[in-house]
Amino acid sequence: MLARIAKPDKTSKDVGMRWLRIAASLVALATAACVALFPLEAANLLERPHDWPVPMYPFIAIAALTTATVGLLIALRRPQNWVAWILLVSALTFALLSQGLFLGREWATHFDDATWPVLYAGPIALAYVFPNGRLLSRRWRWVAAVAVVSFVGFVAVALSDPSPTAYTDNTVKNPIAHNAVGEWLIHNHLSWIWVPLWFGMLGSLFAGVLAIGLRVRRSTGTERLQTLWLAWAAALFPITLVACGLSGFVIASFLDYAVAPALLLGWAAAAIAVGIAVTKYRLYAIERLINRTVVYTIVTLLLAGTFIGITLGLGVLLGRGSSWVTAAATLTVAIAFRPLRARVQARVDRRFDRARFEAVQQVRTFEEDVREDRRAPEDIGQVLAQALRDPEAELLFWLPASEVYATVTGGEAVLPRDRRAKTPVLRDGNRTAVLLHEPALLERRALLDSVLGAAGLSIEIARLRVEVRRQLAEVEGSRRRIVEAGYEERRRLERDLHDGAQQRLVTLGIVLRRLQRSLPREAGMLSPAFDSAVDEVAAAVSDLRTIAAGVRPPRLDDGLAAALRDLAQSAPLHVDVEAPVERVAPSVEAAAYFVACEALTNAVKHAEASKVALRAVRNNGTLLVSVSDDGVGGAVARRGSGLAGLRDRVAAHGGVLEITSPAGHGTRIEVALPCES
Amino acid sequence: MRIVIAEDTALLREGLAGLLEDAGHSVVARVGDAESLLAVVAEHEPDLAVVDVRMPPTYDDEGMKAAAEIRRIHPQTAVLVLSQHVEARHAVDLVGSGGGFGYLLKDRVLDVDSFLDAAQRVCDGGTALDPEVVKHLIAPASADDPLAALTPREREVLGLMAEGRSNASIARELWLTERTVETHVSSILGKLDLAPSEDGHRRVLAVLAYLRAAPTS
Repeated sequence: MLARIAKPDKTSKDVGMRWLRIAASLVALATAACVALFPLEAANLLERPHDWPVPMYPFIAIAALTTATVGLLIALRRPQNWVAWILLVSALTFALLSQGLFLGREWATHFDDATWPVLYAGPIALAYVFPNGRLLSRRWRWVAAVAVVSFVGFVAVALSDPSPTAYTDNTVKNPIAHNAVGEWLIHNHLSWIWVPLWFGMLGSLFAGVLAIGLRVRRSTGTERLQTLWLAWAAALFPITLVACGLSGFVIASFLDYAVAPALLLGWAAAAIAVGIAVTKYRLYAIERLINRTVVYTIVTLLLAGTFIGITLGLGVLLGRGSSWVTAAATLTVAIAFRPLRARVQARVDRRFDRARFEAVQQVRTFEEDVREDRRAPEDIGQVLAQALRDPEAELLFWLPASEVYATVTGGEAVLPRDRRAKTPVLRDGNRTAVLLHEPALLERRALLDSVLGAAGLSIEIARLRVEVRRQLAEVEGSRRRIVEAGYEERRRLERDLHDGAQQRLVTLGIVLRRLQRSLPREAGMLSPAFDSAVDEVAAAVSDLRTIAAGVRPPRLDDGLAAALRDLAQSAPLHVDVEAPVERVAPSVEAAAYFVACEALTNAVKHAEASKVALRAVRNNGTLLVSVSDDGVGGAVARRGSGLAGLRDRVAAHGGVLEITSPAGHGTRIEVALPCES
Repeated sequence: MRIVIAEDTALLREGLAGLLEDAGHSVVARVGDAESLLAVVAEHEPDLAVVDVRMPPTYDDEGMKAAAEIRRIHPQTAVLVLSQHVEARHAVDLVGSGGGFGYLLKDRVLDVDSFLDAAQRVCDGGTALDPEVVKHLIAPASADDPLAALTPREREVLGLMAEGRSNASIARELWLTERTVETHVSSILGKLDLAPSEDGHRRVLAVLAYLRAAPTS
């Protein structure tokens, strides 16, 4: 478990990483050393372990060196990634088995016969763990275990095969013709054991294909693109095989070793693809590459088929080997190439750009849902994230009136400075939104454009709704602020009356009283005049106090309950009061007080009531105020009436007012005001 | 009496001081905020502090808080709080917590004799509660309130008792004989189920405790 070697302790982790890097460099170096022996073998300066033709060596060298290089590059950047080690070990195995200096002809041939599964083990292992170095899920551990047992078991059984000569070249003697394991297997009639192991290897091969397929389907963003690179390289193997077979048939002189170089080049391509995917997956547009590969494979197959058809057909008529036949076939193929390519390209685009098709389809389905009222247009952001398979995708709406971006909840948003790319959404040339998304999506411009194009209307609707909601919230906020400012103004006015005018009057009264008391005894006749003057002053003070209390009752400072009780006491009819002792926000208390005040005034003035019940209770963040009388009923909130004003005041606090007033059965006014706890 | 005055309006402060000095008392210090008030009380240990409720810096209830502080730290100094309006938040609590405390509306000053009388009463360890406050206290909250069982005359007497007046003072105010007042008082105490007491201040306390409990019941 290389990935798990890492310990939480930072220094030991760093040391571990360094050793891993050194080990990777040594493996790559050993591979290069083996490859360096190839020219000597090719020039017969060293014993050739195999009777391969000389042209094979460059292919082996290319496969081994690219694989080792890519493995080393990954190991240096991410020493703990399994992918690097699979590549490095595979490269070393190629190189080691292909030279004869260390092994000698007999051992080399024996290993060559026994270890061919290693060529497959590497790609299969890659398919299991690519690109993040981890298996798809815990259950895949069993699959991996089966693969390891099959491959190791098979190679072990093959190595211990006691046949006297190698099966590829019966002039080479088996260096371990007599070994205990092989003889024991034969003695116990267990030599069939290779059969289940062989099926295990075959099964692992299919599991590898399945693993890549699952990863492509499940992954998103970068990981998906990385996996696509490997899928592309893996697909090259069968394509090259078919191409080799066809070329052999067409040219009619089958090259003995055509398949092996093709496989080796395939390996090199896979290694390069892996390298690109892990280190710099954005180098080429991988989906475009896959698309082109598919197109040209199909075109090649069709043209080859045509060529063969014409050659065979005309060959019957004109006789084999006629240069006219070849010329006609070549001409047909040359003429057919361009239109055929265009056709195939269009077909492939339609059939194979499934991702785009599905993404657009998702958006269309959503639009339909919006129309049928099954979903809200505001969900468009989520739908885009799903359609583009980018969980980080986020849609910010542009509000031209206030020149800001807003989230779907209406909150103002600043464009974040993160790694996400920002693609503006335009409608009739005007910006409606910006999509923040995985930068890798920019490589798939066609997908992005068609999805955003399909989502245009939904985005515009969602944007308008967000804008309206924001404006409504602003208006509500300003209305509340105005009303609260009104309360503050009343409070200030009340203070001014008490601390200004009233103080001065009291001072004036005191001055008069002192004058009165300092009068000489003979001026006693003036005393009554002073008394009445002071009485006037006292009455003025009292009046001012009443006015100030009407502006804003100072009892509100003691809480709503105290103020309501005061109100009840000053009322000219019996008022039952039930009010909470706990306090809520001053502006809410003031609103509740004025509601009660206005309702009480109404009951006194218009309802001919004899009794009023005043109730205020707090219930889950709401202050409920109700005023009921036993009067004549029939009250309505006419425009400009006190009740209508009351309703506006309550609405400004985000509350509701309800009037129940059947004629002859009293009036009940109920108000619910939101109050934070 | 040796008196300190705390009042932020200079003219009113001087007027009050003049009024008290005219009556033969000595005003030993005049200040404009609660902090200086506490300082001069500590310095002069006066017999009485006349305190405005609203003073700088917040003009809320600094005076009331300072009054409570004085009663706690300097029990020998009586406090008479003056307010622009009935601000009952602490008034009843402070009056009920012990003698030597008064709470009056500012314009009561204009009835000079009864103001000086209240000042003297407070200074002597008695109480003075503004009629306006008392009026709020003795209004019956509902039909089954025992206060509703009182006759109008008895309610008048109860009010004056709550203000802190003595029987003699009540008799003077209502143009009754002291005996009649005594009869009313024992009737009131009986109806409210309160123990009779000779001590005037304890009587006030009992009445206030009763009234204070009433509104929340």
